Amino acid sequence: MNRHTLFGGAYALAFFAFLFGPLVIMATTAFNSSRFPRVAPWECFTTGWFGELFGNARLMEGLMNSVIIGVGVVALAVPIGLAGALALSELPAKLRSMLYTVLILPILIPGVVLGISTIVLWGQITRGTGAGFLYNGYFLTIVGQITFVSAYAMLVFIARLQRFDATQTEAALDLGATPGQAFRKILLPFMAPAIGSAAFITLLASFENYNTTVFTVLSESTFTTALASKVRHGTDPSLSALAVIIITLTLVGALTNEAYQRRKEAEAGGRASRSPLYANPVTRALTHPGIVFAILVTVIGGITYAGSQYDSSVCEAAVLQEKLDRQEELRAEQRERIEAQEAEQGVTVPKPDSAFGGAFGGVGTPAAPAAPKPESPSAFGGAFGGITAPEVDE
Amino acid sequence: MKQLKLAYTSLLAKHGMGAALFVAISVTLWVVVFITLPQLSMLDYSFRFNLPADQIGTEADHYTLEQYHSFFFNSDGSFNALDITILIRTLIAALIVTMIDVLICYPIAYILAHGAKGVAARLMVIGLIIPYWINEILRAFAFRVLFGSTGVVNTWGMQMGLWDAPVDFIRADVALYCGLAYAYILLMVFPMYNAIEALDHTQVEAARDMGAPLWRVHWRVVLPMAKPGIVSGATMVFMLTAGALAAPQILGGPSSLWFTQLIYQWFNESSNWPRGSAYAVVLLVTCISFVLLMMRVFKVSVGEIGK
Repeated sequence: MNRHTLFGGAYALAFFAFLFGPLVIMATTAFNSSRFPRVAPWECFTTGWFGELFGNARLMEGLMNSVIIGVGVVALAVPIGLAGALALSELPAKLRSMLYTVLILPILIPGVVLGISTIVLWGQITRGTGAGFLYNGYFLTIVGQITFVSAYAMLVFIARLQRFDATQTEAALDLGATPGQAFRKILLPFMAPAIGSAAFITLLASFENYNTTVFTVLSESTFTTALASKVRHGTDPSLSALAVIIITLTLVGALTNEAYQRRKEAEAGGRASRSPLYANPVTRALTHPGIVFAILVTVIGGITYAGSQYDSSVCEAAVLQEKLDRQEELRAEQRERIEAQEAEQGVTVPKPDSAFGGAFGGVGTPAAPAAPKPESPSAFGGAFGGITAPEVDE
Repeated sequence: MKQLKLAYTSLLAKHGMGAALFVAISVTLWVVVFITLPQLSMLDYSFRFNLPADQIGTEADHYTLEQYHSFFFNSDGSFNALDITILIRTLIAALIVTMIDVLICYPIAYILAHGAKGVAARLMVIGLIIPYWINEILRAFAFRVLFGSTGVVNTWGMQMGLWDAPVDFIRADVALYCGLAYAYILLMVFPMYNAIEALDHTQVEAARDMGAPLWRVHWRVVLPMAKPGIVSGATMVFMLTAGALAAPQILGGPSSLWFTQLIYQWFNESSNWPRGSAYAVVLLVTCISFVLLMMRVFKVSVGEIGK
């Protein structure tokens, strides 16, 4: 038994290492001054990538569009999802499973297909009716996303509805409430927490979606599509900086939620209520979700402020100088070799004079001896960095 | 139809006119305008020629099989091996990713349902959810950072002397498979967890007491219970992987296209919408029939999905 527990624990550790390792490494690269997101070789600690991230006009514009679309999607998908859940609760078994299949299908259909079918349909409607105003990226994206996002909302509502005690509605009706009153005063308040979480999930799904949005958004761009085109056309660590921000927000949310859940459990009088943390008034206050949230925000605010004051230019200049020296060294080495070869063969070989030629000289000039092979990635980065770095470090 | 009417009157009696109308209208709108019509319209489009805007509606605009024909055959009549290979390779890759996910998620789902207690279980659930909150693009990006030629894997591998020159994991599709398997872990763990959790742990203990080895306990006791969860999770992972676009665009090697990328190219680079629609229909039909076939094989109904 013990051996199995040990094995299970080890497996869980390995599993979560796989889950978090890539995120941790990506987050780490946000603080390395290297042009390419990487951990090794570590050049300088910098916070400059965060500034670069916020300076990216396309991403920020996409963020704005995403917010507009997200609000639209939440406003429509949550009611539609609720309607779907209510309809399912009333239908007889056979019809219910049929409708359930139809409604759940958009989650399974490839997002690409949803996106295409949306623009094709609305394109035809526009051509048929001449209603050109319908054919714009915002409207199409909202419509396209609703198709499957509503299903997420519906799943949340179904789970909540299963715990609804229908006798409550019956009691209200018996006591003389109209059905409408019973709906507003009994069912809707019962569904309120689910409405909150459905709104959150739909917002997140709308925000994150790429496959459908990339088609429906037409010439506009949302945050995610702008991000994807940035990743596809060359990467730099400002994306890692974005990941750091998102991970931080997620962690704050998760910790606050955990504090909230614990507190609720303690108040309900479970095992947590016997925890010494809740007996002591100081720690009791400290574990209040609001306080936990405030502490986290303060700490992060402090770190952000300290980070924004940090100046890595001295270190970066030193690294740049080092690279230039290294490049000069490589070039001198190569010149020597070419000269030696010239003397040997008595022919003139074109001298590579660009920094690029310094590293890749062997490719362009077959007669020249192979360029000194970089013995580590740092040498490669050295020559490569020499081209790009001056543009950045004014 | 009669049953629909019955359900409506029951809603009316329970929740009132407003609520009943709201439900009826919303669901109709969702099913008809958002789900059915777009698919029909795409299907219709896939049977048309790619015409300039001024010729649409004229007699040149009639139904044709040309778009599907060009999926199966080249213009010179030979078999279109390129596109068909891409489709088959996408399906096989999606299947591999799904199997990887089943294998790595099963133990975690079992540990979560029967091993971990209290704080550990809660931490595990949070740990599973947090990566899922990070944007899909960034998750793919993380794997690019990890597997790049100067990435952590290459650096460590070379430092430990496992290989000498940087290995191109991107070209070898290792990064893509890892990234896709990573992206949909949560969708595999939770259905499995829900299914396994329903198993009474005393059954496992009983089997152990009777002297069954661990693998046999899992094969005969836990797996039959977990089957609907596994099929449900596997369906979602398979469909999402086969339909993935972002991860193949970011992590895919230069030589291997995903079928969705082909569709994307027809739409956005060649502006041939009917051809793109036809390819989308091919993808949809292939995926759905594959999933239905698998469900038939494993005797699980569609209603299990999403639970």
